Amino acid sequence: MDILSLLRKEVVWSRHRLVTLCFLLLVLPAFFATTTAAFGTVIPEDAPVGVVAENESVTDDEIALVEGGLTLFSEPRVYENTSAARRALQRERVYAVLAVPPGLYDEGAQNATFTLIVDGSMVPFEQPSKAIQGIAGASLDREFDADVTVRREVVGGTHSLSEYLLPVFLLGIVMLFAFTYLPYNLARERDVLDRLRVESSLDAVVATKIGYFAVLMLVPTVAFGAAAAYLNYSVTLFAPGAIAVLLLTFVYLAAISTSIMILTNFDTVGRFLNVAVLLAAITFSNLVYPVGFFSSVRREIARLIPLHYSMIVTRSLTLKDTPLAMYGDYVLGLVGFTAVSLLVLKLSIERYKRTI
Amino acid sequence: MMRSTDDGETGGDDGAEQDPILELRGVSKSYGDVTALSGVDLAVVPGTIHALVGPNGSGKTTLFRIALGLTRPSSGTVDAPPEGIGPGFQRANFYRDLTVAENLDVFAALTGADDDAWREEICSTLRLDRVRDRRAGDLSGGFAKKLDLALSLLNRSPVVCLDEPMGDLDDVSKSKLLDLLADYRDEGHAVVVSTHHLGAFEDVIDHLTVLHDGEILLDETRPAIDLGDHDSLQELYVSRSLAAERDTTDGT
Repeated sequence: MDILSLLRKEVVWSRHRLVTLCFLLLVLPAFFATTTAAFGTVIPEDAPVGVVAENESVTDDEIALVEGGLTLFSEPRVYENTSAARRALQRERVYAVLAVPPGLYDEGAQNATFTLIVDGSMVPFEQPSKAIQGIAGASLDREFDADVTVRREVVGGTHSLSEYLLPVFLLGIVMLFAFTYLPYNLARERDVLDRLRVESSLDAVVATKIGYFAVLMLVPTVAFGAAAAYLNYSVTLFAPGAIAVLLLTFVYLAAISTSIMILTNFDTVGRFLNVAVLLAAITFSNLVYPVGFFSSVRREIARLIPLHYSMIVTRSLTLKDTPLAMYGDYVLGLVGFTAVSLLVLKLSIERYKRTI
Repeated sequence: MMRSTDDGETGGDDGAEQDPILELRGVSKSYGDVTALSGVDLAVVPGTIHALVGPNGSGKTTLFRIALGLTRPSSGTVDAPPEGIGPGFQRANFYRDLTVAENLDVFAALTGADDDAWREEICSTLRLDRVRDRRAGDLSGGFAKKLDLALSLLNRSPVVCLDEPMGDLDDVSKSKLLDLLADYRDEGHAVVVSTHHLGAFEDVIDHLTVLHDGEILLDETRPAIDLGDHDSLQELYVSRSLAAERDTTDGT
């Protein structure tokens, strides 16, 4: 009878925690099961590849024919000149650039050498780019009379997978902190919120907390830097631009997680919602694998998520020798999104004041 | 019998003639269809202990939160002193992960309370010294209430609003708290206490406001309060509240 009574209590308790249990037992498993679909292929099937003429004597017809040949295994994008194509490569708009040589239609042309340019810091794309090199060679050879050879050229410094993952994991830590520890910390302060609101203001409490934790984000950066130095990694974690973007990223993530907590009256539901947002952000912003690995739909989704740009800028500034100005529009977008997030946070605070 | 000041006068006699330090005018508050407060006027003058009593659901906590600025009234105005109000909460309100001393430090800094001697006096009177280094979340109910009271008095605000300040306190601590509040009143400050248990404050009260169903049932200053056939304020309050409840039930 004791067991039956206790079981009955568990059922009654579960009814009071229906939202939490539904999230843990239904939504989360379904989410994980669905995300497995994103890993259907090992080699990207339609990765964006830039197509550019090697010089001015390459005709539009030749470019169009090459573009058509690449469509079978990639998503080709034609660029006006080499510098524009390389800029797109550094900004991760494309993952390789195929330079088209002149004279493909010349009578008596014996050989044609294409150059597939890849970025040395895009480590996960190293093997796929070799595969693309082979497939492109075979495909283009069928299109032209000349014997086609595709030469692979790596630009920028080459990096190991370990080095590549360092900025990824650093941003992961920032996300984890913003969506788990910060909400936990806010939930703990629920007990003192009334006194804080009388003695200070909710706006000041929240602003101070986000500012303080943003500064704390320098600690994992230093830890990662120390580990990288110990392991002789070739990364520049202390690039001012990278640190600025990392802090900016924390601020907008913290503004989102704090807004969720305030809108849910600092309840447990808010903490679960934050975990859900964290998982969704990890999945859809393609932090580890470049978006070129996934379908065009996933790619477009990722490009709508600010974290995607935070990752590109952080990765680029830590692994490549590129100036921050190269990503000026990305950074401007992140600043704008941070301003919007903070506005949403302010509105959620005002709503809290009105409804409590 | 009313607790007296040093010169034999009750604190409320002079204070009643002064301008209010905290004033609520025509305050109403509704939550959907439920009316918690309906056109309530409340004036708290310096140098008084003002008791706010009423049965459960009478609107005391809502009125308290409105006075503290924690809840916005649906209508009406609140005039609070610019120096702020010292808030004391029914459910202890402090950082549970910090120690008692750390909580006192944090809120002293936050409110600009720099009178260390006063802080020591509060801690000594409330016997918080012995738990100074204990994590606040591990305090017993009585000490948690004492810490909450200490935090509300820390800044020597012109008005302190204390919600059930006697809750969880032992009899010795209750007596010491009454003395502390009487002294605080005698220094010219106003003390508002919201309580279910009027008896404990019987001797020190200068002004009594009784709430019933969100409306003021009685609002008078001592010694003008007419006890009638009743022996104490507690009896008067219970009698008035029961009568009001009967009227509500009868629809009169």
